Amino acid sequence: MPDTRVPVEMVNGVPVVAAPEEIDITNAGELRTALLESAARRPGSFVVDLTRTLFCDTSGLHALVSARKRARAEGGDLLLVTAGAAIPRIFAITGLDQVFASFTSLEEALAHIPAVAGGAPHSDTSPGTSALPGISPDDAGA
Amino acid sequence: MTAQVDPVSTEARLRAIQSITDAALSRLDDHELLAELLDRTREVLRADTAAVLLLDFSSGQLIATAAAGLEEEVRQGVRIPVGRGFAGRIAAQHQPVILDHVDHTTVLNPILWAKGISSMMGVPMTAGGRVTGVMHVGSLLPRKFTGHDVELLQLAADRAAAAVQSLAAKADRVAVEALQRSLVPSALPAVAGAEMAARYVPGSGVVGGDWYDVFTLPSGELCVVMGDVAGSGLPAAVIMGRMRSALRSYALETPDPAGVLGRLDRKMQHFEPDALATVLYAIFEPALDQVHVCLAGHFPPVIALPGQPAQLAPIANGLMIGVSPAVPRQVTTVPIPPGALLCFYTDGLIERPGQLIDDGLERLRRVVVAQSPEAACAEVMGAMVGDEPARDDIALLMMRRRPDRTETTAVLVSPRE
Repeated sequence: MPDTRVPVEMVNGVPVVAAPEEIDITNAGELRTALLESAARRPGSFVVDLTRTLFCDTSGLHALVSARKRARAEGGDLLLVTAGAAIPRIFAITGLDQVFASFTSLEEALAHIPAVAGGAPHSDTSPGTSALPGISPDDAGA
Repeated sequence: MTAQVDPVSTEARLRAIQSITDAALSRLDDHELLAELLDRTREVLRADTAAVLLLDFSSGQLIATAAAGLEEEVRQGVRIPVGRGFAGRIAAQHQPVILDHVDHTTVLNPILWAKGISSMMGVPMTAGGRVTGVMHVGSLLPRKFTGHDVELLQLAADRAAAAVQSLAAKADRVAVEALQRSLVPSALPAVAGAEMAARYVPGSGVVGGDWYDVFTLPSGELCVVMGDVAGSGLPAAVIMGRMRSALRSYALETPDPAGVLGRLDRKMQHFEPDALATVLYAIFEPALDQVHVCLAGHFPPVIALPGQPAQLAPIANGLMIGVSPAVPRQVTTVPIPPGALLCFYTDGLIERPGQLIDDGLERLRRVVVAQSPEAACAEVMGAMVGDEPARDDIALLMMRRRPDRTETTAVLVSPRE
């Protein structure tokens, strides 16, 4: 089975999710996991890098919108980096370009995130753990 | 009694449990299957009671679903919060638990200690690394359950988890398809001067939340809705049903398409805060000479005039439903000359892996021709879908203003004409 995990990298103490080329119902779950992991690593703002992404259906948009709502509820935000025409086109049709902060480079996006309170970023070794093993925070939150 | 470590009998007992599910899996009713599995498990482990509690993800509670020798647990609808009591601890810790003494300090469910159960053993049921439930057995006489007993019970629980999972998926799909088919109009309303045809094809992989709706208002105006709820399976289909009926209610309240979608958005954000959907809502003038369209993240319709290439109707985009409160929404009015054909659709029609959205839209634009809606549907489905199974749901609706429209009976004549 191919590794379908969506990687999360810490850049200057900010989690950056590297979104895959295509996001649809078959892999939106992995994107959702990566978004939750980012929020767990650094409460507040983080970045989703969509520069490789050429296609994103409603399940992918759903993962992004939910993550943005959670981040904003905690005083942070979800920032996007996009390149090319495909993703901006999808965001224009869905009107999401009106609500997401979007940048054309990672540096630009990072410049809009305030420095981590308390200095050093979290270690990368501890993935987000939920109170209920085997149950994602989304499910347990109800 | 104390179970002996007897390899021969362990082998035989393992086989006894393995044999259960191979036969039982072919059955359709998961309650029957679980009942049989529990009977056999009780027998093999020489226990007095056996029960399965399944995790309800939305409430975070374990619900007693099947039992042998402990039927009242199911009849009384016992619910145990994850993390509390015996079963709750097993689910939370993802670990087997053995109880040598059963009383109110160790077990939350009074049925168990009131029944006189002395010893218990339970294991988690898992699917795809997630806890989906708990299976436990109990003994009326004091007993020390062993590691071998735990292994046997875990085997039965794994079988049960797999069976429940596959049966639930099958039942879900049947329910979703039935729900979806009940929600799309069985017949399109007859409106003088308009011809309509529609197609609805559920996705081959996971059934999503696409729907369309066509109705007339008391004023006689024709309304068209296209929608796509993010997500799949029963949850998406249920949200789709709620959105469809809410939108119909708001349509009766206000003649303004932006007002209808604004109310729908507010309702969804309050009652279904995690839902996300695209919706198109269109109201045709009674004379059918123009249509007022409001888009909430949905693709604009394609319009084809007789003898001319089709184009994407120039309609202002609007934000999807379920993103941000109180967004301003715009309505665009599109003139419809006699004989013009409007093509409404959901993204499943134009989206293909490895293809850009604009390429899909362009393919659609080229194939839409002003002709009878039935023929247009057939041609578009043939060109866009062909013989490959569609991964996502597809909803397609064609509406044509009759070319030979002379019977302008008691309809309002638009001031523009």
